[in-house]
Amino acid sequence: MDYVLQFGQVAGQVPYLLGGAVVSMELAVISFGLGAVIGLACASLQAYGGRVARGVAGAYVGLFTNTPAFIQIYFLFNGLPEVGVLLPPFAAAAIGLTLVAGAYLAEILRGGFASVRRSEVEAAEVLGMSRLQTIQHVVVPHLLRTLFAPLSGFFIWMVLGSSISALIGVEELTGRAINVSSATLRSIEVFLVAAVIYVGLTIAATALLAGVGRFAFRVRMKVI
Amino acid sequence: MPLLAIEGLSACYGRLKVLQDVSIDVEKGGVVALIGPSGSGKSTLLRALVGLTKPTSGLVRFGDETIRYDSAASLRAARRRMSIVFQQYNLFQNMTVLRNVTVAPVMVQRRARATVEAEARDVLAKVGLAGKHAAYPDQLSGGQQQRVAIARALMLRPDLLLLDEVTAALDPELVGEVLDTIRTLAAGGMTMIVVSHEMGFVREVADTVVMMDGGKVIEAGTPAELFDHPKTERAGAFMAKVRRP
Ligand SMILES: Nc1ncnc2c1ncn2[C@@H]1O[C@H](COP(=O)(O)OP(=O)(O)OP(=O)(O)O)[C@@H](O)[C@H]1O
Ligand SMILES: [Mg+2]
Repeated sequence: MDYVLQFGQVAGQVPYLLGGAVVSMELAVISFGLGAVIGLACASLQAYGGRVARGVAGAYVGLFTNTPAFIQIYFLFNGLPEVGVLLPPFAAAAIGLTLVAGAYLAEILRGGFASVRRSEVEAAEVLGMSRLQTIQHVVVPHLLRTLFAPLSGFFIWMVLGSSISALIGVEELTGRAINVSSATLRSIEVFLVAAVIYVGLTIAATALLAGVGRFAFRVRMKVI
Repeated sequence: MPLLAIEGLSACYGRLKVLQDVSIDVEKGGVVALIGPSGSGKSTLLRALVGLTKPTSGLVRFGDETIRYDSAASLRAARRRMSIVFQQYNLFQNMTVLRNVTVAPVMVQRRARATVEAEARDVLAKVGLAGKHAAYPDQLSGGQQQRVAIARALMLRPDLLLLDEVTAALDPELVGEVLDTIRTLAAGGMTMIVVSHEMGFVREVADTVVMMDGGKVIEAGTPAELFDHPKTERAGAFMAKVRRP
């Protein structure tokens, strides 16, 4: 074991890697945001929809939570061109991650719906509140409060999970680390630096979310 | 004419008949105590009155109006006149004490927030919670939460207050403070139906005691009649059991 760590060549590439981190965050934010819309729609359909709507939403959630994200993204990038749909890597990755996020977020939100206290809804009803007032003032605040921590956790998971898009050539943090590694042959150093950047990203994001949660929703979360 | 007349009310959960032909009159300013063994239908009766459990037959008259439980407008009008306090408080966990008690007057009754809040401070002080406006329910003791629930019901200025075992979930040392609150209300002329297992308290505040069992009214009368000279065997047996410490 006489490997000597040499960060010299890698140091010059840090700005390039940080640029990749920005792409990683973009992927996480886009897929989480769009996934939340899909997840909310699915969870609502599963909770309140008719039989067909429940079935469709359930099938989608089941499909995407029971197959590897790897295969889903490969399918979008390599499979769809066979039928004439050509997607650039970033778009394929964003769509794939959005679909995965949608399915997992549907599950998280469904748990939230189930945790709404019937007793509070009944109290609102006998106090004369309308259904809309009950949703706005009782149900949504409850959901925000109970779901804030799991949703934050899932967002962090998406930041890290976006690295899967390196497989189809997206130059986000992992993709760029692979590039630097093959150019410099300093794999250990490059991936150590990339790991440190990931940790920095997730700690910063968690601290920010914990702050928001604490002051806006009376939620306490651990930062590390 | 009684303020509230319940005539032949029945209700079921699935095939289980939980209320069978229940008839009770509540006079204005009167306090009716509902007693009876667990599962006898006391909570269901209160829930049925406010339309949370739909009656299958019978009539409920509030003043000279019959409440139509299948009509949203009729139900809304009835709920404006009676408030229920649940056994488990059912406070809004995401709202402060002040917001819990002001949300309905402001949003449902559309009264001005400033006047409602001023009144809420008064009412909260009366139930001994002057310093707790900004607290959330999970920061309060059981007795304090129960008094917030009573304050919330009072803020709607109901003509009739329904109290479901408001002391059952409390530690013995907290029972007294909630009973004091109810005593004060009774002395102030509030019309109430009170479900309670506190027989001493029932004897003291109630004008009429109604004993239920198996979804039916077994016997009704003054506290002295029911406690000291029960006419039915079933009521006698129940009294003998609850009187034993
Ligand atoms: N949601 C429900 N679904 C089915 N059955 C119910 C439901 N709620 C109550 N019951 C049944 O209805 C009957 C009456 O219940 P209720 O809660 O009115 O009794 P209670 O007199 O208030 O009893 P307790 O003193 O224990 O509070 C019981 O047999 C109970 O098991
Ligand atoms: Mg009960």
